[in-house]
This record gives sequence, structure tokens and C-alpha cells, in this order.
Amino acid sequence: MSKFADIEIDPGILRRAQRGDARAHEIIYRAFASRVYSLSLRFTRVPAHAEDLVQETFIEVMRSVAKFRGDASLGTWIRRIAVTKALMFLRSAWTSRGQSLADDWDEWTPGDNVSHGVSRHPDDALDLDAALANLPAVSRTVVWLHDVEGFTHKEIASLMGKTESFSKSQLSRAYQRLKPLLEDKTPLPDAEGVAARSY
Amino acid sequence: MNESKPDDDAGTDEDMICGLTADERQTLARELRALPDTMPPRVVWTRIREQAAAEGLITASPLRRHRNWFAGAGLAASVVIAVLLLPAIDDDPAPQFSAVPQGELTNSVPLNVLEALMVESRELESELRALPEEPRVVRLGTQATILELEDRISAIDYQLTDPEVQLTPEEEEIFWRERVRLMKSLVRLRYAQAQRTAF
Repeated sequence: MSKFADIEIDPGILRRAQRGDARAHEIIYRAFASRVYSLSLRFTRVPAHAEDLVQETFIEVMRSVAKFRGDASLGTWIRRIAVTKALMFLRSAWTSRGQSLADDWDEWTPGDNVSHGVSRHPDDALDLDAALANLPAVSRTVVWLHDVEGFTHKEIASLMGKTESFSKSQLSRAYQRLKPLLEDKTPLPDAEGVAARSY
Repeated sequence: MNESKPDDDAGTDEDMICGLTADERQTLARELRALPDTMPPRVVWTRIREQAAAEGLITASPLRRHRNWFAGAGLAASVVIAVLLLPAIDDDPAPQFSAVPQGELTNSVPLNVLEALMVESRELESELRALPEEPRVVRLGTQATILELEDRISAIDYQLTDPEVQLTPEEEEIFWRERVRLMKSLVRLRYAQAQRTAF
């Protein structure tokens, strides 16, 4: 389940937000700000950019919430806005550097903190965070969208304007980089060996 | 975006080769979801609120309306006090004794409890505003406590100003009393913070 989906907002608060009530919007902001900020920060890695994206996302929420009909949960709707804003930002960043999404891995070189990001002591969540941060931006984004936010490859492809194969390929390459973190963590296969199948 | 969809294309995902077992993928997804979220700096909400107000996306904050109301209540209280004290500072020496019986006067001089709490609350707001801006570098514990207090005060203000919430006079007094108590704590903390910054 998405990290956004487990947050519920009282319908009364939502109605007030739809009428432009500032306090209701503040409650919604406080409920979702950490999710939006963390997502933006993981995509961009730059706090100032993430702050701008939080601002853009919630301003868009304020502009559009009157049209929100509740077909999906409010969290899912806000997540969609946040992801779209973040991807637009990444696209513009890549574009301004004259890169395309495809050559992200070509540009990638292991950062200084990879050596401690892919740790031999993987109990620390910081290791995973660091390893994730060291992935190329496109792969990091695909991993987060797929594994944390629950997007399908088809949806990721649509959001990024690429093919499903592209999304799968990015995920696969990212998994290869993250694999050393997982070697000491996974449980042994059960008696039937059901879980041992390799992807 | 569909919350349940990621599983729907699991079959497609299984076809790809990424070197992770099913257990490893589950572990990775679980640990990624467990990574902590971070709240953006408080200034982000201030910026959002300012932009939203400038674009006319939100109505005046109840807190702001409340502050205006405090000002009104304070002004009204000041008028009451001025009227009651006027005989004492009147230059006309003739009426040495009030025509109003003493007993009635003493009953009418003190503000009722609710008014007194409102005035006290307003005075604390003024004290708070008179303190220097919050320092850029803050102690985490102090800041967390300040945020907690501000949240609780905002929650009380929300109750007090929500037209859908019908409060009895007794309940209203409880809320105002709690507001004064929290405001006192907040002023004390901010004062201590300002003193630390000064030295």
C-alpha cells in the first residue's frame, strides 16, 4: 500500500478545504506534508528543490480540491499531484542538462558514499537510504514509484513518457545495485522452497 | 493509479531478470516503505499560505480571524474597564460617592471568567509577538515542544471558531482556560529561547 493511502482525512475537513478554509488546508498539509516532502526529496535529493515541490503540490491541491470527487482517496490524489510535479521537475532538470531519461545510467558513476551506502552492516536504514540516494535519478524514481508507492510499470511508463520495458530495465538495474544490502536480511527459503525463485 | 494494481502485473514483472529473489524483493519493498518521512521546514507552510492568500485560494485563517476577534474582545474589555474606572479619574469633584450602591459595583467590575480568559489570552498573544523571531538554529527538543504547543493551540482555536461545533458556555470556558495555559507555556519557552539566542 502507498505511504499516502494510510492517511485518512475527515470528510468535514475536506468539505471545508473545498470551500477554501485555510485551517482545513493546514490540517491536510500537516497530514501529507511529510509524505510529499520525503517523496520529493528522494526524487531530487536537494532539500530546496523538495521544498519548492511541496509548495507547488499543495498550491495545486488548493486550486483543484473543489473538483476532487473522491473517486480515489485524497492521499492517492495528492500523491498523483506530487509525483507529477516531481517528474516535471526532473524532466526540466534533465532537459536543462541536455540529457534524456535514457542516458541516466550512462551518466552515473558511483558516488563517494556508495561504499558505505552498500553496507556490510545492513541493519541501519541509513544504509538503504544512502544506497537509494546513490542510484541514478531515473532508477531511484522508478524504484520508489514501484516498490513504495505501488505504481505498475505501465503507470510508470505513462508518467515518464517511456515504455514498460524501460521501467522494468531501470528497476532491474537498480535492484542489482541494491542487492548487496539484502543478502543478510532475507529469510531462508521455507520447506517447499516457494520463495527461492529468482526473478 | 490503482492501489491494488501492482500485484496485477506481478506476472509481467516475474519475467524480468533482475537478480533478486522474491524474498529479497519483498524485503527491499518493506524496508523502503519503512524509511522515515521528514516534515519540511515550517517556513514552507508559511510560503504556501502566503501564495494561496495572494491568489485568493483560501479564506482568512480562523486563527487570524480569531486574533482580530481577540483585538475586538480586548477593545471591548478596555471600554468596559474605562467606563467603570471613569468616575475615579473624573476631574469633577462633586460626586464624591458613586450613586451606584457599592455592592452592585463590585459585582459588575470584574470581567466574567470567560472575558477575563479572552483578555489574558490576547495579552499573551501580544507578549509572544513582542518576542524576537525564532532563531535559525534551535534546540530540537525545545522546537518540538513549541510545535506541539502551537498545534494544540491551533486545535483549540479550530474548535472555538468552527461554526459546526456547538459549545456550551462551560465547554467554551474549558477551551479558553486550556488556551491560556498553553499560551503561557509557549511564551515561557519562546522567552527562554530568545534569552539563549541573546547570549
